[in-house]
Amino acid sequence: MTGLDALPPGASVRGRADGFADYLVGPAARRRQLADGFIETFEAWGYGFMVTPLIEPLDTIAAGVGGAQQSALFRFMDSDGALLALVGERTVSVARVVATQLHDGPFPLRLCYAGSVLRNQALNAGRRRESLQAGCELIGADGLAADAECIALAAAALERGGVEHIQVDVGHADFIPGLLDSAGLDATAREEVLAALARRDLVAVESALEGTDAADAERRLLLAFPTLRGGREILDTAAGGLRGERPQRALQELAQLWDLLEAHAITDRVHLDLGAVRDWDYYTGPTFEVFSVDSGFALGSGGRYDSLLSRFGAELPATGFVLHVDRCHDSIVRRAGAAAEPAMVQVSWAHDAYPRALELSRDLRRRGVACACDLAAGGDGDVQVSTTGVEWAHLELDARAGIDAAVAALAARTP
Amino acid sequence: MKGLRVALPGGTLFESACDLLNAAGVARLDPTRFDRELSIRDGDNVYVKVRPTDVPVYVEMGGCECGIVGKDVLWESSRECYELADLGFGRCRLVLAAPRDSALARGAWPQALRVATKYPVSARRFFAARSLNVVVIRLHGSVELAPLTGLADCVLDITATGRTLAANNLVEIAEAGTSTARLIANHAALKTRNESVGALAVALRRAAAERITAGAA
Repeated sequence: MTGLDALPPGASVRGRADGFADYLVGPAARRRQLADGFIETFEAWGYGFMVTPLIEPLDTIAAGVGGAQQSALFRFMDSDGALLALVGERTVSVARVVATQLHDGPFPLRLCYAGSVLRNQALNAGRRRESLQAGCELIGADGLAADAECIALAAAALERGGVEHIQVDVGHADFIPGLLDSAGLDATAREEVLAALARRDLVAVESALEGTDAADAERRLLLAFPTLRGGREILDTAAGGLRGERPQRALQELAQLWDLLEAHAITDRVHLDLGAVRDWDYYTGPTFEVFSVDSGFALGSGGRYDSLLSRFGAELPATGFVLHVDRCHDSIVRRAGAAAEPAMVQVSWAHDAYPRALELSRDLRRRGVACACDLAAGGDGDVQVSTTGVEWAHLELDARAGIDAAVAALAARTP
Repeated sequence: MKGLRVALPGGTLFESACDLLNAAGVARLDPTRFDRELSIRDGDNVYVKVRPTDVPVYVEMGGCECGIVGKDVLWESSRECYELADLGFGRCRLVLAAPRDSALARGAWPQALRVATKYPVSARRFFAARSLNVVVIRLHGSVELAPLTGLADCVLDITATGRTLAANNLVEIAEAGTSTARLIANHAALKTRNESVGALAVALRRAAAERITAGAA
């Protein structure tokens, strides 16, 4: 018996739970560097790094996110019977911390974080159940300059991390609900259209609008849904014929936001997207998503969520975003290929040269060269330094030629 | 990367999907070529033929930017894709059917009901609105046999003409939904490849509308 037949039914294959990943030496290092780079960029923009727990009471999470997201959490029971969950995102945790511990400011508060988030998704779906997210929250600032800063920072962090050809789509959470309000739809039709949009089912949007007495300008915009994209000029096109105050105000905010993004010098990577489908219960103002042609998923997303902190007892406006480190890593690998195992410098020695080999190792490390020293005698000469690089080139040199020469030679061969 | 990768559903919708792409002037596909090749480049686009249930998987995960698939497949799929257009063809209905001589066929709903179906997600949603004690039995084919063999009291299945139901002595009791072929798109592709995806959607919608008008005339 071989293969599958060789395994008795029910035998443990000592595998890994589906949807979780091991990252081996090369990819793990690059993934960590990517997350570190994001955090360094956030810190360079004045965002303070903070850490929140991997587990939160379900009540806390439920105050922040909707039912669909709650049901996708890994949940379990605490020893006192209270329900706990592994966090599915970390903005709610940051909101809890701000409302309970940082409510005296000084505002605006600039906070950033990185950590695992978990979602209990279907087995064998090819989706990650644990992923690494890095994010920023800008709390206590209600102006559009705060939203523009978040968009510019998300773009800066991704570009510094080596994600190429990014594209930011900026929308407004109040535009479509406002449009539905001013279209004169009855409550049933309004709910139907919003639900269809949330499902991204544009066929259902169309049929929900059919036979309603939605005004022409609003109907035209709702049906043009996926094409409501472009530069500042689409705001004027969209505004034509619109009477409602709510969608007009959303368009005005986007116009001001565009000017701020121009001042940040990133409008060449920005599209305004009036049809952006986001969680309308959560977001209250401008929203954005970041894409790259190398990924079928959004690499980052964010927006204004002015009502979240009040659910924790603090009336504070807030905006922020999250970057999906694993999707960014996938996108870089797709373009540049898998990360090579980092070159390792090996110090070997013979006879009684162990103390000198250790001394050389210390010196190399002081000079920023990572190295491992052999644990037993084995080299040909007294002390020898070798390295294996990407192409497994073998470099041997006599350490007696001088450490400076050794370091220079290693630096030249180490990628 | 200029062209799109488009997933086409093998099976009953396949030839109509190729016909519509050709009629829309988007492609010049010979369906029989897919008997020998699974992936065909035509103009800027690449077309792949996959199992219908796999179309939303390819599109959600970004393996293909767009796909054509029946709404019945989307009902069952938990994949998140944009549904851009109703392409009109492949029309069929999802119906609840029971043996002609059963109490159910006479309009008497029993307290407990065993339903055989290839559409368990749709079945749960259909019965959720009708507080009945229902056991859903998932099968992978020839659902009509389930009532004949006593495996189930009724079936929830797709029918285009009703002939298969009638041949197996089943009568329709209720309709759960109507399905047609849909154009679906990947979330990121709709943003990063907006012009190509939009052009494909516009061309296919127009061709589908023309076909419906021609059919009605």
